[in-house]
Amino acid sequence: MASAASKLYADDVSLLMVLLDTNPFFWSSSNLPFSKFLPHVLAFLNSILLLNQLNQVVVIATGYNSCSYIYDSSSDSNQGSDHGRIMPARCSSLLQKLEEFVIKDEQLFKEGSREGISSSLLSGSLSMALCYIQRVFRSGPLHPQPRGSSDGPEQYVAIMNSIFSAQRSMVPIDSCYMGSSNSAFLQQASYITGGVYLKPQQPNGLFQYLSTVFATDLHSRAFLQLPKSLGVDFRASCFCHKKTIDMGYICSVCLSIFCKHHKKCSTCGSVFGQAQLDASSTSNRKRKTPET
Amino acid sequence: MQHRITLAWAAKEFGLHHLLSMMKMLKQLRKWIFDQAERGVVAKHVEAFIREFFYQNPFSQVGLVTVKDGVAHCLTDLGGSPESHVKALMGKLECSGDSSLQNALDLVHGYLNQIPSYGHREMLILYSALSTCDPGDILETIQKCKKSKIRCSVIGLSAENSICKNLCQETGGLYYIPLDEPHLKELILEHAPPPPTIVLNFVNEFAIANLIKIGFPQRAAEGSVAICSCHKEAKVGAGYTCPRCKARVCELPTECRICGLTLISSPHLARSYHHLFPIVPFYEMYLSLLIDQQNKFPRSCFGCQQSLLNPGNKPGLRVACPKCKQHFCLECDMYIHESLHNCPGCESTRHSKIPNINEG
Repeated sequence: MASAASKLYADDVSLLMVLLDTNPFFWSSSNLPFSKFLPHVLAFLNSILLLNQLNQVVVIATGYNSCSYIYDSSSDSNQGSDHGRIMPARCSSLLQKLEEFVIKDEQLFKEGSREGISSSLLSGSLSMALCYIQRVFRSGPLHPQPRGSSDGPEQYVAIMNSIFSAQRSMVPIDSCYMGSSNSAFLQQASYITGGVYLKPQQPNGLFQYLSTVFATDLHSRAFLQLPKSLGVDFRASCFCHKKTIDMGYICSVCLSIFCKHHKKCSTCGSVFGQAQLDASSTSNRKRKTPET
Repeated sequence: MQHRITLAWAAKEFGLHHLLSMMKMLKQLRKWIFDQAERGVVAKHVEAFIREFFYQNPFSQVGLVTVKDGVAHCLTDLGGSPESHVKALMGKLECSGDSSLQNALDLVHGYLNQIPSYGHREMLILYSALSTCDPGDILETIQKCKKSKIRCSVIGLSAENSICKNLCQETGGLYYIPLDEPHLKELILEHAPPPPTIVLNFVNEFAIANLIKIGFPQRAAEGSVAICSCHKEAKVGAGYTCPRCKARVCELPTECRICGLTLISSPHLARSYHHLFPIVPFYEMYLSLLIDQQNKFPRSCFGCQQSLLNPGNKPGLRVACPKCKQHFCLECDMYIHESLHNCPGCESTRHSKIPNINEG
């Protein structure tokens, strides 16, 4: 499948949606702590806003149990003066909202703690970001930018829906992945929508990665040599056990994916005849019959 | 309107789907209107159709057949790559001589009879002639098509004629005559999603559902060099590796040349999943209720943060998701149901997630 054709952007005004992963399970195992990660991001957000007066930044926090908007640069542009404060109003309001969000997320977790899935709700925040983008779609080029933790295979369908919707409206999804292994979903998302997928080698120099790769607007991307993809993981997750698989079966009626042979399709209810042997095994068999 | 047809849509998207598109071009009829430019217009619409068709039916195959001088020619074999069809279509398309519907049906019948039982067989005919010059009895051929469960639809580019009407009635297809060019485009594109009636037939009558073994290859890194198994030459980057035998192939979807595994990329499959797991329609919040309990409800849309209050702090129109009880503005409602196919509210809570997918 070809990646989305890039639109020709005439101006260099950007709307940047940043989906910030606040999943505590992920950050506790990361080699860059969240407290060190955040300053890089804040500096990055500031530099985006400084690049062009009309640039807009929206931050959505993606937690373990919920997602929420935590910052919108269009709504708090004239909040008093920054003089005499230790921290600009922008940062303090963001941090305050973020703290509230994390506390709320934690409470939700205590209420409903059960199985040990440790994936973030990327599908939810992606959907929210796309809704927001639709609202301001006239205002120029846009790139949502997820960054995140391990994949949750149970979100497969929802994330795919978001990706195709983004592709249709030509919104590139850039991803900066901080985890140790690669994220198949984010790789696919960036590949399909024509965004950049990057896994920083040196987490301590994160700000440099962010400002050199992700801060570029879509217009100037045409002139730059951005990092090339190091292969895309096109595996899907099966419907029966939510495992990520590279070989499996699909139902010929509804195209549901299964990791092993079933008698009945759990999605559309059709009963399967004999397992269709794929061409190779039939030909192998033909070859083998004379011998046996 | 859109909410009501969700079920029909869910049914529509089922299954592998084969379709032969037939372009019939005839010289003498409507020559005055069907000149070079007009033919280009038809080809352009067929191109759009082919692209849309593969977008909606990732596993399907299309073949193109043309009829001229009373003989049916195969323009492209049944294949799954839109590019090759479009390339053939953009080549020279000539109109000459008489048209023979029977020859065309015979040729297509021969092709479609070979495909496995789980595929739909469909034929879309763009017919510009008013008559047909056949070597035998065309009614027998129509019965033959009916027996092989080939659904034939006709889009007539000239006046309505009885034999096409008969063909469509017998095989359960649609027969339309476009009023003008935009209408022609609309009619052609209407055939891109698989029709629901077929699915019902398919499930009830000749349902031989099967599990098909497939592989999801990984895309190799941009700079890597490997010998591809399809062209047998060394290529730099941009290839896929078969998960079973590790052979390199150039494009997807395809069949591995070495081990015969069907190879597809998972995004191809996932395109149609929103039909399997449709999201529930949102219900409208009544204004009277909103005015009574104004303070209890959120002030802005959950999706886009737009204020839901009309000027003067009066509550405006809003809809709510019956599952997660979040409120949305009408623009988001439309976007969510038509393009996104995800409810942002349900997706951003942990609890409703897992049942959401398992229920289907």
